[in-house]
Amino acid sequence: MISRFQVVRPVFAVALTALFFFPIYIVVTGMLKPADEIQSSPLGLPAPLTGENLEAVFGREDGLFWSSLVNSVQITVLSVLLLTLSSAMLAHYLVRSKARWTKPAMLMLLSGLMIPPAVILQPVTQVLDAVGLMNTLPGVVLSNVAYYLPFGVFVFAGFIGTVPVDIEEAAGIDGASRLRMFWQVVFPTLRPAAASVMIFLGVWVWNDFLSPLVILGPESGTTVTVGVYRSVGEYSTNFGTLYAFSFLASLPVLLFFVALQKQFVAGLTAGSVK
Amino acid sequence: MPGSPRHHPLQGGWLRRAREFSGFALPGLFLYGVLVLVPIVWTIVLGFTDRTRFEPQTGWAGLGQFSRLFQDDQFWLVLKNTFVVTLIVVIVPNVLGLGIALLLNRESLLYRLLRSVFFTPVILSGIVVSVIWQSLLRPDGVLNAILVDLGVDSGPRWLSDPDLALYSISGILCWQMLGFCVVVYIAGLNSVPKELHEAALMDGAGPLRRFRSVTWPMIAASVTINTVMLLISGFKVYEHILVLTNGGPGRNATASIAFDVIEKGVRGDRIGAAAAEATIMLAIIVAITGVVLRLLQRREVHV
Repeated sequence: MISRFQVVRPVFAVALTALFFFPIYIVVTGMLKPADEIQSSPLGLPAPLTGENLEAVFGREDGLFWSSLVNSVQITVLSVLLLTLSSAMLAHYLVRSKARWTKPAMLMLLSGLMIPPAVILQPVTQVLDAVGLMNTLPGVVLSNVAYYLPFGVFVFAGFIGTVPVDIEEAAGIDGASRLRMFWQVVFPTLRPAAASVMIFLGVWVWNDFLSPLVILGPESGTTVTVGVYRSVGEYSTNFGTLYAFSFLASLPVLLFFVALQKQFVAGLTAGSVK
Repeated sequence: MPGSPRHHPLQGGWLRRAREFSGFALPGLFLYGVLVLVPIVWTIVLGFTDRTRFEPQTGWAGLGQFSRLFQDDQFWLVLKNTFVVTLIVVIVPNVLGLGIALLLNRESLLYRLLRSVFFTPVILSGIVVSVIWQSLLRPDGVLNAILVDLGVDSGPRWLSDPDLALYSISGILCWQMLGFCVVVYIAGLNSVPKELHEAALMDGAGPLRRFRSVTWPMIAASVTINTVMLLISGFKVYEHILVLTNGGPGRNATASIAFDVIEKGVRGDRIGAAAAEATIMLAIIVAITGVVLRLLQRREVHV
């Protein structure tokens, strides 16, 4: 006989999840409804479907969606690539080197994990200004690389600690150059760590708001996240279009999540199961 | 830690060591130094000056900025707001997340799907989450429309009532972070060896007793990760406040310390005052994270 709890559990779980999902349901159905229907029946399914909200975002006269999409893609791809390379190499150096200064250096890096962006943003803009990188994409990319470096080093260092050092030594004795040995021998063994670094930093950099807002500034375009913020005022009466913009701005990370769900969870939980 | 081999690849002449240092460590360390460490030091130094954006003459202010802050009611209000949000965000998703993890900790397509639903807000940006909730929480928004249908005269003013707005923002942050806790707890629960449960069952322990004596100590690492993550996210809350209330209603009813620092130093021109406040913010987060990490890690079980 099926116990009562075996029936109650899935029903309760589904009901609770539906309640939790409610805001996302409103957005996804709302962006497919005409404006008057969002007001008159916010909860109903969209019938008939309309693409007018999505078209309104795609066809904006200022091209805000497309230009900010290009910026977001450039910033995210460049930041993540540079971060993966530099944090893997730095973590490898700090873990393997016998020099005495590497322990305090590691500690100093890891304490960077908790620095709120608000604390350093003003001086960061001054540094970038001094080298002429304020209001430029490279300025945003470099500040991302510096700010998220501790996370990359943290993940890679934890992983490198579990990889035996023998292979590297064998390659070292063969006289291969350190750099070549790193890319050909060591880096391939770090792939799982690289996957979680790229996934998490990809999502974080894509969603970043404050640093692109301030460093790019209004003249040099925006990222999609900043674009959503900038367009809030215009759409104050037309939620369908605002929902469509929000959805489109999030779509790349949502697809990314659906495609790489397993790695997401694996990366997230690597620390909790040790 | 691996043993120390005699011919370690990172040993050799100083020239080789210097080359390796500049190839492997220097680029990252240099950027981190210039764009994180120097700005931290700079913020602390600026906190002792009277710098403003439009007056080039910057002079030392000693402890002036700090003493002005400590005498400013608005600073204490902003600090209180930050602590309220942080406290709610540390407790609620942690507790609910554990409950939901216990509920969803079953291996089947249905439960995997439900877990993904809970995780979705975690990967959305704070701006998008805030824009969604702002539309739901308007006085005539969807949530109040439902409440009216349920027989409430008129729904609360979620974001414009000064007594309520801070709690609405906290609730939204909890909604966003909940899935993170669920996923981390489920991984923690799965790491508990089955034999432990079976042994406790054989000893006649009931479900509550088994949770307290077996599960709870074994998921200590998950508690640590969630608590520290929530602590840091709650303490630095900025974008949600910017979108949902812009610090209001009225003066600073929902402003957090991060919001106030940006208002003064980046959007405004009081760089010295903002730097002093940022320094206090830094000191608080370092102190709290240090204490919390030490307390939580003490009870982690190492197997």
